[in-house]
Amino acid sequence: MKKRTLLSMAMVATMMVATFAGCGGSREGATDTAEQPAAETTEAAAEETTTADMPGFDAGATIGVSLPWLGTQNWKEAEDMFTEQLAEAGYNPIVQAADQKVTQQQQQIESMIENGAKVIVVGPVDGSQLGSVLEQAKEAGVYVIGYDRLLENTTGVDGVVQFGSVKTGELQAQALLQGLEEKKGEGPYNIELFGGGPADPNAPNFFTGAMSVLQPKIDDGTVVVVSGQTDFTQCATVDWDNAKAQSRMDSLLSGFYSDKDIHGVLCPNDGIARACITACENAGQEIPVVSGLDAENESVEWVWQGRQYSTVAKPTDDLVKETIEIINSLQAGNGMPSTSVTADNGVIEVPIYELPPVVVTKDNAKEVFANDPSRLDLLK
Amino acid sequence: MKYIKQVLGGDLRQYTMVLALGLLIIIFNIISGGRMLTSSNFQNLISGNAYVLVLALGMLMVIVIGQIDLSVGSVAGFSGMVMALVAKNYNIPWWCAVLIAIAIGLLAGAWHGFFLAQLGIPGFITTLGGMMIFRGGVIWISHSISVPAPEQLKWFGAGYLPEWGPAFTGMNNSTLLLGIIGIVCYIVAQLKKYKHSGDGTGAKDPIWAVIVRIALMTVLIGYFTWLFGSGRVGTSFPVPGLILLLLTIIYHIITQRTKFGRHVYAVGGNKAAAALSGVNVKKTYFLTMMNMSFLAAVAGILFVGRSTAAGPADGTSWEMDAIASVFIGGAAVSGGVGTILATIVGGLVMAVLNNGLMLMGVGADKTQVIKGFVLLAAVAFDVYNKKSGKSSIIGRIFSK
Repeated sequence: MKKRTLLSMAMVATMMVATFAGCGGSREGATDTAEQPAAETTEAAAEETTTADMPGFDAGATIGVSLPWLGTQNWKEAEDMFTEQLAEAGYNPIVQAADQKVTQQQQQIESMIENGAKVIVVGPVDGSQLGSVLEQAKEAGVYVIGYDRLLENTTGVDGVVQFGSVKTGELQAQALLQGLEEKKGEGPYNIELFGGGPADPNAPNFFTGAMSVLQPKIDDGTVVVVSGQTDFTQCATVDWDNAKAQSRMDSLLSGFYSDKDIHGVLCPNDGIARACITACENAGQEIPVVSGLDAENESVEWVWQGRQYSTVAKPTDDLVKETIEIINSLQAGNGMPSTSVTADNGVIEVPIYELPPVVVTKDNAKEVFANDPSRLDLLK
Repeated sequence: MKYIKQVLGGDLRQYTMVLALGLLIIIFNIISGGRMLTSSNFQNLISGNAYVLVLALGMLMVIVIGQIDLSVGSVAGFSGMVMALVAKNYNIPWWCAVLIAIAIGLLAGAWHGFFLAQLGIPGFITTLGGMMIFRGGVIWISHSISVPAPEQLKWFGAGYLPEWGPAFTGMNNSTLLLGIIGIVCYIVAQLKKYKHSGDGTGAKDPIWAVIVRIALMTVLIGYFTWLFGSGRVGTSFPVPGLILLLLTIIYHIITQRTKFGRHVYAVGGNKAAAALSGVNVKKTYFLTMMNMSFLAAVAGILFVGRSTAAGPADGTSWEMDAIASVFIGGAAVSGGVGTILATIVGGLVMAVLNNGLMLMGVGADKTQVIKGFVLLAAVAFDVYNKKSGKSSIIGRIFSK
């Protein structure tokens, strides 16, 4: 069997050799040494984030965008916007989504390098599992920009564009407290806490930000976490899975609220917010004050109807625009724009380009979405 | 056509998948404008799929004994996570952590083997349980948070062989050496075979066929040696590929040349007959399951090395990729049929398909659909070809 398989492979090989003789590149020491200093300059400049003379690239260059999946609205929007806006700017975009699979994303990024991408924008499935692939990109002289989530545990990242995640958490908690005062009268308020998917480096940050606002109120007795579950690991929702959040809420309600009212729930995103609201309704509770994130269509409607108190808009548009601005700067040979914020990714300090998120409640929804016709339509 | 048949030596049916693989590579190379057959792409292809192929080696044996193992992804994830955690928390050397991961794999396999062999619980159920136990275990011990792995492990998952010796060869000399060893081994094996080919029947292969065979193989190995070796300085045939290659050779020998290998096929073909002729069925079941989880641990280590961190979702649905590779490689669902080399070809078909579609920028959704059809088509084609009384399509093309 071995002989036969190998032999037939031989046949295939002859065909291949015949077809492709002469197509391949050769391994030239000279080219390599010529590339080496260029790569070093890139590194040095990226570290200092100066505007020194950087080798730019062709205006029609290929730009890779690797997104984690298209299962939530913000990622689908990002896919459409990147495809459209990169093409408009004259680039050749390759936008792919990895279906929440790390292996898929690793291979996609590699194929983008193969396709000669000059910049690869990465919204990671798991921020810490792309190490060797991103370092490979760096060696190939490709710029790597993290999108929305920090790229950890690797030297192969030039910068990350995201909404301030600790800030987002603070805003969520402030909106929750404001809503409790508005809707539920005098305290103390009974609340529960939910966190996002632990594999997403933003999730613990949201929680930390929220707790920095809530902890003083818990300490002085204004709010009470009835279940006592205040650790991130206790509150986390694996994979940001709404169903998991809903079943946790169900069991919290049946376990701790049989003779109590629930007044508020800290929710890290809109899907989880809606899951919690549904769970409360099913349990016969009055709808609590709930925070959210992402301004998904359904939640925008719910905010407008008063079912979900607030959400936080992180306009995908802003994020994509900022990313494309950075790409333009790289293309022109100006390097990464300078920024004062950095984050430790476990190996290096990564420059962070932070954008401010916006709290949306029924009161300000019309103003926030003034430039967003599709969401404005929902406010009826 | 008769001459081609003579060079290839006999039954052509088994070349279907190899031909498909060659055609896929060629077609993708043309469509992608030459991006398929590049050093870096093939290096990626191998290091990115080594873990699935390693799993497929064990899965083949499991399927040959007529069982299935659904737990391999979870076991791979679990052993990888334990490795990353012990290395991080207890500050032990990295190789110690690797040994612990392998020990975990062996224990997991012994667990499955015990329930299958001693208690007679079907492998499907035993390993369905194992899938849940070990998946839950990964999430439990990791608190759903990824854990960075020791730096040295990167060499296993994404490393390259060393550069040495003269530069005039124009490629990585480690890779060149591997290629030369491969060619020499092949020539020796062919000549030995030629010498004995007439022994029983008196029908010797014509010498020219043997020479053409050797020439073709030399060109093939030579081409791939050049492809892998001529990449950027510092790259070579990838280390995970070398590990896969060694495992493939070892398991090829185990399944084809050893008593244990014959027992595996015997048990899968007809359990009762095997038992009556003195095969220890329980032992065969136990060792095959244990071996599968051992390989799952190896796959987990390779993957963590490549990812630089162990994650809570590692290994999700890997079992399905491994099972698909085995069936595309022509193994029978009822057991008893299938070979290591055909399985590797099956796995490579999936890998090349995945890689080629990605190079073309096809999304994950459509890729999944296409892979599903290929699996179905491959098995259907195989079943059709093997139906008694019908001559195979490939066979008909080459007959005279």
